[in-house]
Amino acid sequence: MSAVASSEPTTPTDADEEPSTGGARALVEGLLFGVGDPIVYIGQTLRGFADVFRRTLIFILQGKIRWGEVVQQCHEIGNRSVIFIMFTLGFLGMILVFQAGFQAQRITGDLRPLGGLFLQVLLREFAPTITALMIATRVGTGIAAEIGSMVVTEQVDAMRMNAAPPVQYLIVPRFIAGTAMMIALVAIAIVVCFIAGMFTALYGFNVNPRTFVNFSFVTYADLMICMSKALAYGMAIPIVAGHTGLATHGGSAGVGWATTQSVVNCSLTVVVLDFLLSGLSYVFLSM
Amino acid sequence: MVLESKLRPGEAMIRVEGVTKFYFGEPVLRDINLEVPAGSNLGLIGPGGSGKSLLLKIVAGLVEPDRGRVFVDGHDIQALSITDLAALRFKIGMLFQNYALFDFMNVSENIAFPLRQAGGFEEDAIQKRVKEQLELVGLPGIGHQYANELSGGMKKRVSFCRAVITEPPILFYDDPTAGLDPVTSSKIFIHLRRMQQRGGTTAITITHDIEGLKDICDAFAMMERGRLIFHGSRDAIEDCEIKLVRQFWEGVSDD
Repeated sequence: MSAVASSEPTTPTDADEEPSTGGARALVEGLLFGVGDPIVYIGQTLRGFADVFRRTLIFILQGKIRWGEVVQQCHEIGNRSVIFIMFTLGFLGMILVFQAGFQAQRITGDLRPLGGLFLQVLLREFAPTITALMIATRVGTGIAAEIGSMVVTEQVDAMRMNAAPPVQYLIVPRFIAGTAMMIALVAIAIVVCFIAGMFTALYGFNVNPRTFVNFSFVTYADLMICMSKALAYGMAIPIVAGHTGLATHGGSAGVGWATTQSVVNCSLTVVVLDFLLSGLSYVFLSM
Repeated sequence: MVLESKLRPGEAMIRVEGVTKFYFGEPVLRDINLEVPAGSNLGLIGPGGSGKSLLLKIVAGLVEPDRGRVFVDGHDIQALSITDLAALRFKIGMLFQNYALFDFMNVSENIAFPLRQAGGFEEDAIQKRVKEQLELVGLPGIGHQYANELSGGMKKRVSFCRAVITEPPILFYDDPTAGLDPVTSSKIFIHLRRMQQRGGTTAITITHDIEGLKDICDAFAMMERGRLIFHGSRDAIEDCEIKLVRQFWEGVSDD
């Protein structure tokens, strides 16, 4: 063996570039890059989500589930979010009923359908979507930060080196726990929000609880929409946050980026899913 | 579960061919060519930021090169499926620069992780081997502790135990003695030498501890700013006239 020097790299240099043909071309190029870059980024991110989702489903179908970790994650995602969700949805219930009651009093003066309509809106929209947005901030950031810090401390690399797929180890338990707990949290949110609204109606507008508790407006389709939204959000948040965490690069600044990006991605995903599911329910359930 | 060797007679266990890597358009590895024959230990040296750890990660298949190919045990690792790459990694032990201990597992679980992943070991046998490894690195009785309760040196030793517990035929050590006191460093090098003498282990060792490296390596390579500026035997490095190589080998500076 002898000393060797490697050859020079063949990298693009300034000399290789074509001379500029003027400001118009630069403007067009700038415009194309300005529009193209975000589109490419969005495309790559969506493909990443789909890939993580596909691999998560494959591991679940193969039965490669760490049930101990699932229970632990149920505690992290579910139990530790209950108080937060109860507070948020409780106050939201009071605000919504107060505003709705105030407007109804001004326009019709009839407050009898207040409870029934509030429950319908709660099931179709507010309970699953607001709960999901809250979970996206509390749980999504936690998942992204935890996985992101594992990436920058090489723990994810260590998993790969030991033939332990990070998706199976880190995302599958959070996916199952997130899905199950989201349904439970939405159910709790509905109850808390409705009761808070009921007391607001009683003390704010003198509406009797027997009048307020009115299920006549609610159909099975409303329940189906509510649960399908809860299910979709519960599946989406761990996937989006997990993918964002795995995409972390750099040091602690990278973890900060992942955490912020997770809130943005999870919130956008919830809003887009809300739109799509509301549209689908309108088409298929004629709602 | 372990991927069968495709090594042909006389072929190097690890072969790096023209590996180049760019980060944000800047080359961080430039046309690296390297061979590590089966059973030998290559000492990879160079200043901080020269690309040693990145090269090791590319060889381990953790980072994809932009150009070039890497062959491990006769397999082109870029061409392997995820399943086959995972199977190949059962043959590789890796000690990471930043310890990479799982913070959701205690020390025993961390060290036992490769054995559990490989499968086929009784729980008693796993516990026995974990205990032996911890005693070997001078850390008996800390199995119940978590990574955040350990000092940097302790983490390094636990990480070392995890890398070698399955006695893999290929080992990558990224700075195995960084942050360790001289006595513990010496113990680690003795253990590395023992594994080398046992035969059959192919290793790449990155360290700044040149004296320790001299005892355990058959060949040396030096990197600088993403380039390989030297690759050769111990005799070759002793006779090498490249200034930076001499400075590193002899531990002297310009001043």
